[in-house]
Amino acid sequence: MLAGIDYFIVIAYIIGMLLLGLYFKKFVSSSEDYFLGGKSLPFWAIGMSIVVSDIGALDFVGVSGQAYRYGISVGNFDWVGSVPAMLLAAFIFIPYFWRGGMYTIPEYLGRRYNQKVRTIASVTWILFFALDLGVLFWASAVLLNVLMGWPIWISIVATAGVVGLYTYFGGITAVIMTDVVQFIIMFIGGFALVFLSLYEVGGWDNMVDKIATMGPEYRNHFDIIQPQDTKSPFPWTGILFGLTFVMANAYMIGNQSIVQRCLTAKNEWHAKASMIFGSALKMFIPILVLFPGLMAVVVHPGLADGDQALPMMIKSIMPPGLVGLMFAAFFAGLMSSVDSLLNSTATLFTKDIYEPFIKKGADDKHYLKVGQITTLVLLLIGVATSPISSDFPGIYVAIQTFMSYFQGPLFAILLLGIFWKRTTEWGGLSALVIGIGFAIYLNVFKEQFFTIEDPFLYISWWSFLLGFIINVVVSLLTKKHTEEQLKGLVFSSKILVENKKL
Amino acid sequence: MFNFDWLSGVSQETAKMIFLSLYALIGILVLILPTEYVYQGIAKEDRHWWNNLKLWSIAVLCILASIYNHF
Repeated sequence: MLAGIDYFIVIAYIIGMLLLGLYFKKFVSSSEDYFLGGKSLPFWAIGMSIVVSDIGALDFVGVSGQAYRYGISVGNFDWVGSVPAMLLAAFIFIPYFWRGGMYTIPEYLGRRYNQKVRTIASVTWILFFALDLGVLFWASAVLLNVLMGWPIWISIVATAGVVGLYTYFGGITAVIMTDVVQFIIMFIGGFALVFLSLYEVGGWDNMVDKIATMGPEYRNHFDIIQPQDTKSPFPWTGILFGLTFVMANAYMIGNQSIVQRCLTAKNEWHAKASMIFGSALKMFIPILVLFPGLMAVVVHPGLADGDQALPMMIKSIMPPGLVGLMFAAFFAGLMSSVDSLLNSTATLFTKDIYEPFIKKGADDKHYLKVGQITTLVLLLIGVATSPISSDFPGIYVAIQTFMSYFQGPLFAILLLGIFWKRTTEWGGLSALVIGIGFAIYLNVFKEQFFTIEDPFLYISWWSFLLGFIINVVVSLLTKKHTEEQLKGLVFSSKILVENKKL
Repeated sequence: MFNFDWLSGVSQETAKMIFLSLYALIGILVLILPTEYVYQGIAKEDRHWWNNLKLWSIAVLCILASIYNHF
């Protein structure tokens, strides 16, 4: 439980976030303001927002737990699993989306392939985001219940009320600017924990020496590159093919909640810079989430559940005041994930489903209202579905794992769509459907195909490869698009050299 | 095949070199981007070395490479 000063910090944080978020209500007068922040935001705010949205409280606990079990190789996800993909996004994909005035990634897929591809991609994201919302609300409620002693339902309504209010009124500008504060709080809380943990274990070198003497299972704990035959989920082959080549790119280029932030930039330079700045900040994330897990190996050896590593470290080494700050950092991670999901899902629904299928050609105020009402409806769905998490504790992992299977085929059609003129609508559609089906098949029969513990990296690679091949073959067999249809949608070196407008 | 058994003979050191080479390749690709392109969006009179996104990218890649070199 928290001490008095911790309560004060947490409550001040929650009220501060609400007031800050509501302040941005005055900047919203059109759907572009609501979904793209009026294309007025600076790179530093967007970069911080990308990073803080990507790392939630559940990741704090989960990554520390994996670091406790598998060592420093978990850091690959934020290092090689982010930086190259963010540079590719910054210099190739984001300028296309930004210049094209797009709101969503499925919107690009719709223009490049057809409406079916756009709808499949959009509906898939909407379903996953909506399910994730319930899980995140439940996680927030459990945190508030354990540390503040608030009943679960009051905790859920409090979280939904605070995040929902500022997202409803302030749109993505409120989401990004509250993310900036949440980023700062997360970094202060995280680094405080790292420094205190380092002091506790007697410094980095001392920790490395101690872990080295703890037995053969810790032999590779400080090897970032794991051998191909490791039993951990992170062999270097999976990190290179599955993570670096597929999942990282799919996430940074194909994830609506990431890309939408870059589209709010005030100009093309800020859009590119936001990704590169974000990639620099991303390199600090393993220090915050991975190091405490490593240090817990020394401070709390022999934990049966690695996910207990971080809570145990907080409980055993953080003084009053800093516990409250750490809790605020956790809550910041959760809030930033929830507000991102709310705004991105509202954008996907309004632009990809409502506008083309339900009411075309309405005035802008109408779509602004639809976006706000969708936010409200999603909030209610999230609150109503949150108890599912208590009945099915593995649901968060299940959702994340299934989402990862969608990433390979999605990246295959994005990559070919932007780099190969010959790709056709039927190529894209068949690659998406067959690729997702293949990923599900490999997952169902994973024991027959794979030797490592959790082969999600391999599955994403093979489903990407099949999606890529299917796209090429079917495209060559079907009628190609005309030059007019492809205008501004396919990469051309002229865009780099002559800076042609799309 | 699905488990990349055909790469089982590659040592961890060689694998590390593959990652470092990848960063070097990305760095080269960034360097050959036209300077005009990386400044796009900034008025000509406001272009300085500190808002050259090539330099930002190279700095990030150098830090990344040093992490992989160390561990």
